[in-house]
Amino acid sequence: MDNDNMDSPAETVVGPSVKIQGDLNSEGNIRIEGSVSGKVKTTQSVHVGEAAKLTADIFAGNAVVAGEVQGNLKISSNLILLKTARINGDIACAILRVEDGAQFTGKCAMGGSAPAAGSPAAETKPEARGRGKSGAAEPEPEE
Amino acid sequence: MYYYILDPQNLDPGKFERQQVELQGLLAEFKISGEMSRVSSLRTIQDLVETASERGANTLVACGTDDTFNLMLSYLRGRDFTVGFVPLDDQSYLAKILGLDSLHTAAKTIAARRIEKIDLATLGPSYFISYVEFGIGSKKLKNLNWWNSIKALSVPEHKFSIRIDNSYTMDITCLGGIVANTRGSASATSTIANPTDGFLDLLILEKLNKFNILKYKQQVIEGRFEEIPHSSVIKCRKVEFLQPQGFPLTMAGRVFTKIPTSIEIIPRRLKMIVGKNRTF
Repeated sequence: MDNDNMDSPAETVVGPSVKIQGDLNSEGNIRIEGSVSGKVKTTQSVHVGEAAKLTADIFAGNAVVAGEVQGNLKISSNLILLKTARINGDIACAILRVEDGAQFTGKCAMGGSAPAAGSPAAETKPEARGRGKSGAAEPEPEE
Repeated sequence: MYYYILDPQNLDPGKFERQQVELQGLLAEFKISGEMSRVSSLRTIQDLVETASERGANTLVACGTDDTFNLMLSYLRGRDFTVGFVPLDDQSYLAKILGLDSLHTAAKTIAARRIEKIDLATLGPSYFISYVEFGIGSKKLKNLNWWNSIKALSVPEHKFSIRIDNSYTMDITCLGGIVANTRGSASATSTIANPTDGFLDLLILEKLNKFNILKYKQQVIEGRFEEIPHSSVIKCRKVEFLQPQGFPLTMAGRVFTKIPTSIEIIPRRLKMIVGKNRTF
């Protein structure tokens, strides 16, 4: 997975008026602007828009989150939390970038091979340097 | 053996007669003459497909409008024909998809027999290769001026419940959408509406403001919703329309079926004679 893949156009786009219940599986990039309850799975990238509301676990190669996610994220490569992101769940990823203002409540596991979100290996907490609005640990943005 | 189904429906009678004579000449010139049957009130397209099957024809060619081809496909019911199309209507979008810009090109294409195996979409007992619409009448919209276009697209939104690939259910509030196998703007490089990728594309159009109606009218007419902000694009193999019951699904302006219904894709099922300037 590389960053170029995150910029390529989404194969699946969930618009703002769409509410999905169930498992959203795709073989390409997914962009979500609406709401999803269930699971989101792709080997490529997931982009969660600012107005999006997910009550779902996300399994993806890369992810950019600007909206609200209630669920675990297992990302095999890059995870970017934008300043409007609100995550309530565990994160497992290889590389994490967090913008100022992003809210994250949960456990985080990072490394070359990210373990499954929610697994015992995902118990390690990141070193907290800032505080989000909810008082949760908020790592400093990567330069 | 070639079997040609000539359909004068929705065509100017005088022009149709001239085209028929011209076509007969071209078929003789390219040495692809076969049995030619004309659709009438007593001999429907369904009857002619049955007759072609009984006579042992292996190539079935629809000559007429897009409706002629779509109806012919819907009556194939699993028979192993190679199919072709001769457009007699200047407004045919199938002609554009298949790369047939004139009667001469169409006859030459059939003679060349460039056969492409393309995906076939099933809608209940019927088949199609193009797209079906719900909530939006692109054919009607095409003939409207800007003021009437605004009125036509300012209607209240519809609520749909759609199940995808037996995996998840979508509840959508929107103007409408299309389920595309292919479309006039399809291309080999496009991931959307490619009739050889083994997928259907569900495109959903959300409510537009007046400015965007004018800005994106052409995209709405051509079904290129992915170019319109906030539209949804879902790539899938099966689309089940659950609600609202009784809501019509149309093809080329004609009501094809009503909800509840389902659409599935059969990859590379149809042997289709295509032109070299096809869009996919």
